[in-house]
Amino acid sequence: MWSINRFPIAWLLPALLPVAFITIYPIAHALWTSLHQVMILFPVEPFVGLDNYKRVLTSDYFIDALRNSLLFTVIAAPSVVILGVAIALFLQRRFFGSQIIRSIVLLPWVLPGAISAVLWVWVFHPSFGVLNGLLMNLGLIDESIPWLTSPKLALYAVAVAHVWTQIPFAVVLVMAALASINSEVLEAGEIDCRSPYKRFRHIVFPELKAMVVVLLVYNALTAFTSYDLVYAMTGGGPGTATTLLSFQIWRESFSMYDFGAGSAVAFIVVLISAALIIAITRALPSDLFAKEEAS
Amino acid sequence: MKRRHNPILTFLFAGLILLFTGGPVVLSLIGSVVPDRILLNSDAGLFDEGINFETYRYVFTGELPSGYLTEGANRAMISDAARQVPRSLWNSTVVAFAAMVLNLLLGAPAAFLFARYAFPGKKISFLFLILSPLVPTVALVTPIYMSLQAVGLVGTQLGIILVHTAKALPFTVLILSVFFRKMPAELFEAAMLDHCSRFQAFTRIAVPLALPSIGATGLFAFMLSYSEYMFSMVLSGDAETRPVSVVMAALARNTDVSWSLLNTGIFIAIVPTLLLVALIWRFVVEDLLGGSVKG
Repeated sequence: MWSINRFPIAWLLPALLPVAFITIYPIAHALWTSLHQVMILFPVEPFVGLDNYKRVLTSDYFIDALRNSLLFTVIAAPSVVILGVAIALFLQRRFFGSQIIRSIVLLPWVLPGAISAVLWVWVFHPSFGVLNGLLMNLGLIDESIPWLTSPKLALYAVAVAHVWTQIPFAVVLVMAALASINSEVLEAGEIDCRSPYKRFRHIVFPELKAMVVVLLVYNALTAFTSYDLVYAMTGGGPGTATTLLSFQIWRESFSMYDFGAGSAVAFIVVLISAALIIAITRALPSDLFAKEEAS
Repeated sequence: MKRRHNPILTFLFAGLILLFTGGPVVLSLIGSVVPDRILLNSDAGLFDEGINFETYRYVFTGELPSGYLTEGANRAMISDAARQVPRSLWNSTVVAFAAMVLNLLLGAPAAFLFARYAFPGKKISFLFLILSPLVPTVALVTPIYMSLQAVGLVGTQLGIILVHTAKALPFTVLILSVFFRKMPAELFEAAMLDHCSRFQAFTRIAVPLALPSIGATGLFAFMLSYSEYMFSMVLSGDAETRPVSVVMAALARNTDVSWSLLNTGIFIAIVPTLLLVALIWRFVVEDLLGGSVKG
């Protein structure tokens, strides 16, 4: 590792500038817009202080949307991480066809969200869906269950589809973390520790912990800000059962053309996301940032 | 892994994973070759009338499937929107390819510096890159839309390319720096002795040697762009330039489209991604797993 005395602008700026353009600038812009009345049809944009926030916070959808978003996050994020770790551990095994399964696990990752949504509508469809057909043939249910049109079930059904789209990324990252565990440590574990559960608990998991925290943060954020899947599967319905907060940014800005209110919702989402990151990293302390420094 | 596993359990798990991750895709394949009247009729066996590729022929040539000509009442179940799918695949490919090339041009030098040099501001700029994907996309849409509108890039492919490039850059830099760090340091020491400049060390040693990994990372950026939906939708213009994720979302919500036609669209859109999955798994993931990821 050689050192350079000053910041190498020519090498780094081409990469840093576009990223700054789509992160720092928009956040500042959202903050500014949320404090002004910005309607696309009016040329003047007067300063209105916290009016947009007040309007958004007292609107009839806000509490529902916030509750749905948080519930969605609490269901989806841990499910992705748990399933991801389980599948990654399993795929360590070598067996006939293991390569094929390793590839197929990646499949949901590269499908556009809209396509995933259609595939899952097909699974959950009340009268023609595969899930209902299967459950009926097995004799578990007598009449079809309206997965996507029942206010109680719709959010869970959408969460299953969301988990499906997020699992590949989790599997790949956990497998990468598993591959980097020192094999001598594992071999020593084989000798000292008979029970596979204990081996996982005391030897493998500590090595995975940093990655699990990263995944949990990442998935909490993707779940909390997920938009396209829900929109394509249920359009926010039935009623407000699957209306998510992130969906409201879209609706306020591009459907009502009230960019001030849209930005206010967006900024609220950013704040809650930041709180989520802090909460998760506090609740599950790890040497995450120490590691990044070392890299 | 030397441990012995119960083969029955192994295959049971493998089957479950396969069913969960690949199942919905198989459903769409079946749905695309079976006409709706069979698909939606619970009494008829699925393959009673055999399979047919009429819907595929319609999407590519515009020739109406015979079923739609005879059943006058159901004539509405077909839409021109489906015929946009091949065109949109091409659009997406162009956008994703441009984003991939830009990613490599802008990201590789930065990744090289992060991997091989120490410099003031390294930690903060690396942290900035790592944390920037955590800003929720929905919060970015409005400001980016408005600023791109100000420079007249809304409705053009260039606008989408720029945003996709910026969105993928953090991942590109991260993955590439892992690859650059895995290269033997002796090579670069020798180059230094030969009075190679930093730029020559990069273009003559690092890039040629890492070419397969660079290509693989490019595929990753390609895929991120290919499956991105929100910016594609907001920034895309008329039907001629729409990327596949937008066309598929529109198709999915279009009530004039029959199930089998929709599934045909889905499956046509999946085929390129299937190829990508195979390539990505082969080159990116196995490579990342092969060496130590911590570096």
